[in-house]
Amino acid sequence: MALLEVNDLQTRFRTDDGIVKAVSGVSFSLEKGETLGVVGESGSGKSVTFLTVMGLVDMRHAQVEGSVRFDGQEILGASSSSLQKIRGSRIGMIFQDPMTSLNPVKRIGWQLEEAVLLHNDVTHAEARRRSVEILQEVEIPRADARIDDYPHQFSGGMRQRVMIAMALINKPEVLIADEPTTALDVTTQAQILRLMRKLQDEHEMAIVMITHDLGVVAELANDVLVMYGGRVVEQAQVDHLFAKPEMPYTWGLLGSLPRLNVTSERLEQIPGQPPSLLHPPKGCSFNPRCAYVFDRCRQELPELAAGAVGDEHRFRCHLPDEERARIWEAKKAALAAEGSAA
Amino acid sequence: MAYFLIRRVFWAIFLFFVATLITYIIFFVIPTDPAQIACGTHCTAGLIAHIRKSLHLDLPIYQQYWLFIWNLLRHQSLGYSFQNGASVRWLIGQDAPVTASLVFGGAIFWLTISIPIGILSALKPRSILDRAAMIFVLVGISAPAVWIGLILIYVIGYKLGWTPLGNYCSIVPSSTAGGCSGPAEWAYHLILPWMTFMFLFAALYVRLIRANVMETMSEDYVRTARAKGASASRVLFQHVLRNSMLPVVTILGMDIGLALGGAVFTETVFQMRGLGSQLVSSALADDLPVVVGIVVFACLAVILFNFFVDVAYAWLDPRIRLST
Amino acid sequence: MSELLAVENLQKYFPVTRGMVFQKEVGQVKAVDGVNFTLEKGQTLGVVGESGCGKSTMARCIARLLEPTGGKIVFDGRDITHLNRNEMRPIRRDMMMVFQDPYASLNARKRVGSIVGEPLEVHGIGTEQDRKRRVQELLEIVGLNPEHFNRFPHEFSGGQRQRIGIARALVINPKLVICDEPVSALDVSVQAQILNLLKDLQQDFDLTYIFIAHDLNVVRHVSDRVMVMYLGAPVETGGKTELYTEPKHPYTGALLSAVPIADPTLGRARKQIVLEGDVPSPLNPPEACRFHPRCPRFVDGKCNVDPPELTPVAGNPEHEFACHFPLERWPMDEDEIRRRPALAGAAE
Repeated sequence: MALLEVNDLQTRFRTDDGIVKAVSGVSFSLEKGETLGVVGESGSGKSVTFLTVMGLVDMRHAQVEGSVRFDGQEILGASSSSLQKIRGSRIGMIFQDPMTSLNPVKRIGWQLEEAVLLHNDVTHAEARRRSVEILQEVEIPRADARIDDYPHQFSGGMRQRVMIAMALINKPEVLIADEPTTALDVTTQAQILRLMRKLQDEHEMAIVMITHDLGVVAELANDVLVMYGGRVVEQAQVDHLFAKPEMPYTWGLLGSLPRLNVTSERLEQIPGQPPSLLHPPKGCSFNPRCAYVFDRCRQELPELAAGAVGDEHRFRCHLPDEERARIWEAKKAALAAEGSAA
Repeated sequence: MAYFLIRRVFWAIFLFFVATLITYIIFFVIPTDPAQIACGTHCTAGLIAHIRKSLHLDLPIYQQYWLFIWNLLRHQSLGYSFQNGASVRWLIGQDAPVTASLVFGGAIFWLTISIPIGILSALKPRSILDRAAMIFVLVGISAPAVWIGLILIYVIGYKLGWTPLGNYCSIVPSSTAGGCSGPAEWAYHLILPWMTFMFLFAALYVRLIRANVMETMSEDYVRTARAKGASASRVLFQHVLRNSMLPVVTILGMDIGLALGGAVFTETVFQMRGLGSQLVSSALADDLPVVVGIVVFACLAVILFNFFVDVAYAWLDPRIRLST
Repeated sequence: MSELLAVENLQKYFPVTRGMVFQKEVGQVKAVDGVNFTLEKGQTLGVVGESGCGKSTMARCIARLLEPTGGKIVFDGRDITHLNRNEMRPIRRDMMMVFQDPYASLNARKRVGSIVGEPLEVHGIGTEQDRKRRVQELLEIVGLNPEHFNRFPHEFSGGQRQRIGIARALVINPKLVICDEPVSALDVSVQAQILNLLKDLQQDFDLTYIFIAHDLNVVRHVSDRVMVMYLGAPVETGGKTELYTEPKHPYTGALLSAVPIADPTLGRARKQIVLEGDVPSPLNPPEACRFHPRCPRFVDGKCNVDPPELTPVAGNPEHEFACHFPLERWPMDEDEIRRRPALAGAAE
């Protein structure tokens, strides 16, 4: 049984301009100790999906449907008190900007202890002891002194470590990381990613890594979800996804990346911009930008289905299998030609 | 932090001198003859000359100012009223408690009302409570204090007879004032003035607090607190309130400082002899020492209050407190 | 004489003041401390580095939005280091900037036509009719609909707004365009559009670029030469191939190995170097070699005493680095990088 199982999750927001369909039918499962990479651009719904899973969306404006089962129990639509018991103790979440994600007027010791005391019936002294311990684990030097500092007294990378510490202090089974390294320098990012891998090994924790950076996903994930326009458009094991992506959007994403080992004159570009979630396109949400579009794409939303390869690798595309294989082979050959020239 | 405080004290003192100097220059340099006014109606040229000398008006302006400051610091004297010869300091001493009762009491009143309403409106936007609060805000801001005061006097004081119609009673029990003294009478007579005073400010503060709380609720660290499993009330009290109240502290300091200078309209409507009404009547009678004295006092109050606000703010916000 | 820009020992220090009333200078933030490079016409210099390395400050000094504290900037044969505003004005026609944030760099209250046409207006070029025509021409060149020139910025997406910024930079035919992180705030799929556009425009209009970014992949794609900056000074400069395949400076190596690779097999096989510590602040830069506290090849007594000079690689004067113990080969992993050869003078 999977640790986290999400089925046909839908989140819609009521706004003054109309109904925004942020998430339109997302399904996946997460096993213990695994890393799920969730890739997407703005408007893909990747963040909203997991905010919904955690019950952090504003229910006054949102309509949520579907099912989220954590450790066998349905938590979507559960009462606030039962959700509060899970959040921060069994499922932890960290966010993108560590400066604004920490309370600026409270010492980090206080914030860490709060995380402990919310879920454990222990003394303050014990909570403090655990806080120092976790700070040491995330490699913050002189943790026992720095625990009484305020967030603004730390650098960006250190603050993100504090956030990770706060999310892990109760040893959760799942860590949801929403773009945790996007706001950090590249060398700091490398440190944080290495730290996350280490912690995952030590705690046998499942990680959901939400990012727009395909490189980060390649480095960390076991399985990948590619999201676009509020839906999962491709889903595969990480090696398979990069070896043989099956959907034009994924091709576009991979092709549009400038690469260290490839110099080309032009990058492959996807024309246009991400779709409006207020008035999504009819049929396949990628159709206005797709180079291989044909009539059916504009009428009918493709199902998330497996191709000839096998059940594990699923995608949404109407193109016939042979057509897709042919196109990908051509792209791969072109990339290889440029790569060897470098 | 100590460094911050020393700097603020320095600036406070500096500002005080600048404010008093400008006040002095304005009032004694404008083209009315202070000696003539001091002399009154039955005047001769000789008397005027004599008065001029005793008020040191024949000296150059900087010397006059210096004498004024010396008088103020050494003898704590602000001069004497032209109208009745009373010590300005004594006059202010009589009037200040009135204005202070009005303003401080009013402040407590308006905070007690505006904070809960502001928070509740922010927590439930577009609800009935929120809309009612916004109407209240609109009325409070648009209606003049005089009008509100008069309406209250008429309806509650006159028609319903629930409160007295005006006047001020000293909080200190005294035999000379008779029935009108002591804390109970003091508060009883101040209810309507407080309500009047409260209307405008409560309206402003409800709006301010509502906006701040709504903005703070959408901050990232509030989301983090929820992600940690904090309950809604914990999020509110531990994370939202302190941060959203910081701007309120700043503005409160400014408002009280200003109000202390003279809540003229309210005092007039309720026939309370406070600094505001004193200032107006003295200005109309060209009673310069009193006017200067009140202005100096008001300056002092504003500067002092802003200083306290700065200190409070620095204490509340560790980012300021700890910047070296 | 096709050298368009020559920067010599550029310095920009910001004073740090203390004092209750009278501010006294107690220190300096050495944001830029000794930058040297030349830029040929039609070429692109990529500048890469992390926060606090001074790349944006350097860009603003070159564009004379800031006045340098020291050094020399020679643009198109003319020393512009200390020109005043009036003297700089005609030169600004030839030097334009594109900024990072497509939301903040456009005035939300002005229509797009007015934004793009502003440089023309400022320099008094053409009649109103001419300007309108030129603006529409530019809008089309950058891939926008010329009919939209009466719209407001908020009606466009991030990528489109960046195009508007580029149109604005090109409308008066500059010679040099300084791009300060022009694609960092954009989605990946849009990023490629803008990068392709910039390259096309460079060819079509014979432009020279300084391209600043923190993403090494992006920089390599657009540049001819790349300069790696750390705490205000370049640590390595080289052609786009040599710098990436044979870096000499340990920091360059660390940067290269920190960039995640969008290929899981390659990524797993890659040798990774992860630096300790944080990017330091330019308020108190380390002694001598600024990188020494984090450097895996640090030698006490040498690296913290003797500041390394920029030296060219043997046989390749275009490739320079500032290090006493340059990397002998690449790639290296963390253990290999720590094994440095003995000090110069001893047997190799």
